[in-house]
Amino acid sequence: MLAAGVLLALAAVPGAPMACPTPAAADEGDPTRFTVALLNEVDSFNPFLGIEVESYEMWALTYDYLTSLAVDDLSVEPALATEWESSEDGLTWTFTIRDDVEWSDGEPLTADDLSFTYNRVLEGGPWGATWKSWLAGVAEVSAPDATTLVMDLERPNSVLPMVPIPIVPEHVWSDVSTDDIKSYAAEPSDGQPVVGSGPFRLVEGTAGGSTYRFEANPDYWKGAPHVDEVAFRVFKSEDPAVQALVKGEVDYVEGISALQVRSLEGREGILAQNAGTTGFDEISFNAGSIDVETGEPIGDPNPAVLDPAFRYALSFAVDRERIAETVYQGAGAPGSTIVPPAVGRFHWEPPAEEVAYDPERAAELLDEAGYTVGDDGMRTLPDGSPIGTLRLFARSDSATSTDVMTYFQEWLADLGIDAEVSTVESTRLTDIILEGEFDAFEWGWYVDADPTSMLSYMTCDQLGAWSDSWYCNEEYDRLFEQQGSELDEDARVEQIHRMQEILVRDAPYIVTVYNTEGQAVRSDRFACLQSQPSPDGAWLFQQGTHSYLSMRPADQAGDCDGLTSATGGDDPAGGSDGVGTGFVVGAAVVGGLLVVGAAVFLLRRRATSGDRE
Amino acid sequence: MTFPASPELVQEATEQDRPRHRGYARYALGKAGGALGSLGFLLVLNFFLFRVLPGDPARTLGRGRFSTQEQLDDFNQAYGLDEPLAQQFLTYLGNTLTGDLGISLRYRVPVSELILDRIGPTLLLVGTSTLLAALIGIWLGTRSAWRRGGVFDRVSTGTSLTLYSMPEWWLGLMLIATLAVGLGPLPGLFPTGGLHSVDADPWSVGGVLDTIRHLTLPVTTLTLAYLADYALVMRSSLLDEMGSDYLTTARAKGLRDAAVRNRHAVPNALLPTTTVIALNFGFVVTGAITVETVFSIPGLGLLATEALEIPDYWVLQGTFLVAAAAVILANLLANLAYGLLDPRVRT
Repeated sequence: MLAAGVLLALAAVPGAPMACPTPAAADEGDPTRFTVALLNEVDSFNPFLGIEVESYEMWALTYDYLTSLAVDDLSVEPALATEWESSEDGLTWTFTIRDDVEWSDGEPLTADDLSFTYNRVLEGGPWGATWKSWLAGVAEVSAPDATTLVMDLERPNSVLPMVPIPIVPEHVWSDVSTDDIKSYAAEPSDGQPVVGSGPFRLVEGTAGGSTYRFEANPDYWKGAPHVDEVAFRVFKSEDPAVQALVKGEVDYVEGISALQVRSLEGREGILAQNAGTTGFDEISFNAGSIDVETGEPIGDPNPAVLDPAFRYALSFAVDRERIAETVYQGAGAPGSTIVPPAVGRFHWEPPAEEVAYDPERAAELLDEAGYTVGDDGMRTLPDGSPIGTLRLFARSDSATSTDVMTYFQEWLADLGIDAEVSTVESTRLTDIILEGEFDAFEWGWYVDADPTSMLSYMTCDQLGAWSDSWYCNEEYDRLFEQQGSELDEDARVEQIHRMQEILVRDAPYIVTVYNTEGQAVRSDRFACLQSQPSPDGAWLFQQGTHSYLSMRPADQAGDCDGLTSATGGDDPAGGSDGVGTGFVVGAAVVGGLLVVGAAVFLLRRRATSGDRE
Repeated sequence: MTFPASPELVQEATEQDRPRHRGYARYALGKAGGALGSLGFLLVLNFFLFRVLPGDPARTLGRGRFSTQEQLDDFNQAYGLDEPLAQQFLTYLGNTLTGDLGISLRYRVPVSELILDRIGPTLLLVGTSTLLAALIGIWLGTRSAWRRGGVFDRVSTGTSLTLYSMPEWWLGLMLIATLAVGLGPLPGLFPTGGLHSVDADPWSVGGVLDTIRHLTLPVTTLTLAYLADYALVMRSSLLDEMGSDYLTTARAKGLRDAAVRNRHAVPNALLPTTTVIALNFGFVVTGAITVETVFSIPGLGLLATEALEIPDYWVLQGTFLVAAAAVILANLLANLAYGLLDPRVRT
């Protein structure tokens, strides 16, 4: 008991002064540090290996890109490339590269570094794992001089000039062999930060570790950041992360639930929001699982779900607003197509009646397609035989999946269709999907700033690869090919809209909600974070490092250099109860423990002396 | 607290020294052989156990990142997942025997590095808690049994049972909400999570204190949760001893109550508790998943659970191997200690 008291005392005394929130930049000598709570680890600081969204954020701080995406509407804007032009046929792209950028070790960044990075990606294998699809059609990249980059293409690529591949320094990475790259960490070593050109430098941190620390790059070509350091702390559960924000141990939390956002809203000194993201969740049908080699059907989909008319009818039986409100607790907006509105002009918004909750229309459409109600009140297949029980799958690792499918099951029952819900792990569901042993499941996707990858998952080429609905439609595939090499942007947008229209009609997916991401910031300590896209977009985890460059301590916010849609500076922390109180109360608690310990000790002595008599 | 061996045992041992030694050597060799056999079996099981897991690492990891079949194939080729299972097994055997545990599919660093990074926090957290719980538990159990039915017994047994039945994560969250965040006039004394502050140097004096401060709440949580294990076992085994004749003899010799308890009763009652302690120390390296999660301690328990979601075969194999080897080793040590403490088990 005494020992425990002493341990507590030892632990608490030096801690007490640190435990209270200190206003940002309280002391002149202390660096201003912006601390972010993450709910997941960085899986690799090597941009050729990492996959988690947290890692993408770390690379964005460390490296630069050919072009970046604007904060307000995600349009392409200059970064390392100041200007660019493509030949008439779209087969040659020429970029002018900045001449005033330096690596953190003092070497100049030139077009050679860009061509080195891209050529490594084109080499494929472990170098190309994450990025190769962004350079589709590119045959060769060269740097005729230090400020010129030329891309030669075999076929036009409509995604250019958007290339979200971090540019790494050739003089460091050219020594890394293709075999070594598979486990090359790209982390600080011997106290030397990672060589990069971005606005911050990673000085501490390892993949899978729980803290990462970055120092500002005072010479950054877009201008020095207004904070000295950015640090990340990994929390493995949500509640403690939110508690840490309330307490002031961290300045920002990312990825919290809508309930937490609600509990933080209105708290003094904290701003919280559900930011729009490019993610969506869907109910996917088995539109025709086949053996890719032979083309023979595999698995055992119900004949009904193979029929586009049946699936289209069911899309009216899903109450998307109810799902967004009750299952997602407001952390999601009713969905419509596989290209969310946050992706910008590529999104096609169907006419309201096409994505409405209309069970009567669902019943009508089912009747028209031959799925009529039999004597027992259940619908039958057009040939008169019973539909049987549809097998719906939900994911156990999602908080919302099972609820959505249970609702769906009820709505199907209302229409006279029997269904059962099984909840399995995502890994197991992956196998079930590949075997075609399902009728429908619930899952979701995140869509890149350019929707090409997402659109490709619905093509016939992806059967057996990334297609999870086994959907295959020749007209859709033809449009996909067209938009991939379409050089006229308006025409491309038109084609992508048409593709979404086809998917709404054929309904391999019923897009249930567009996801939001809960975020909260200590606005009493930091201000001038920008939303991307404005006005409801994310404050951090954006395309680019906009907020990291614009944020500053709240007491230095001013008008945020005239930035629109930036979080304003509240009153700088008046609520901090100061160092002194914390110390006094801490000392009082320790004193109390010591007194209790001493009392217990004395009582024990008395008891044993009683024994002796 | 020390527990000197009962004088009877020591005397007996010196009387028939030579034959005992030979008997013990045979006993020890037998146990060591058994442990080695288990280890060999484990090595084989380890590989196939995780290959039957559902899922495909390339698909789990690459979802939304890779967009072509080619990228899937490249990944599988780079990490040797495209080879036939028999070939993969041979590679695994060869690598493991030379101390190479493979590369993590998620973190792309050698598994041995990951385990070394994570084993420290786990040993600190679970090891300290187990040790504290054992010491406090033995003390509680002894006192409870000696004054069976008294106020101390009722309070301590009731409290430890209540703590035992409380979910660890809930207890942890309550400690965070009160002692870490602060409640009313009480300021937040301890951090809400993590093992150290962002820029703390773990090898300086300040860094060590910083780590102690971070570990206080998680260690308290686990110690409270583990307490009942030891307190109850100790209590019941001491109760078993209390009617024994040798205690009456000891009392008749005129020994004080405390001496009867500490020098005669407790050493004999410690045997079952020793087993529990040894086994639990074997499980130390498996970590404490719930407490690691609530307090964001980067330990082995979390590493292994998260690897299941991918499935990250090599991390699973590595952590399983280390955990199982630790249990086998702890068992062996318990057996060897038992042979010394209680000669009857050698036959």
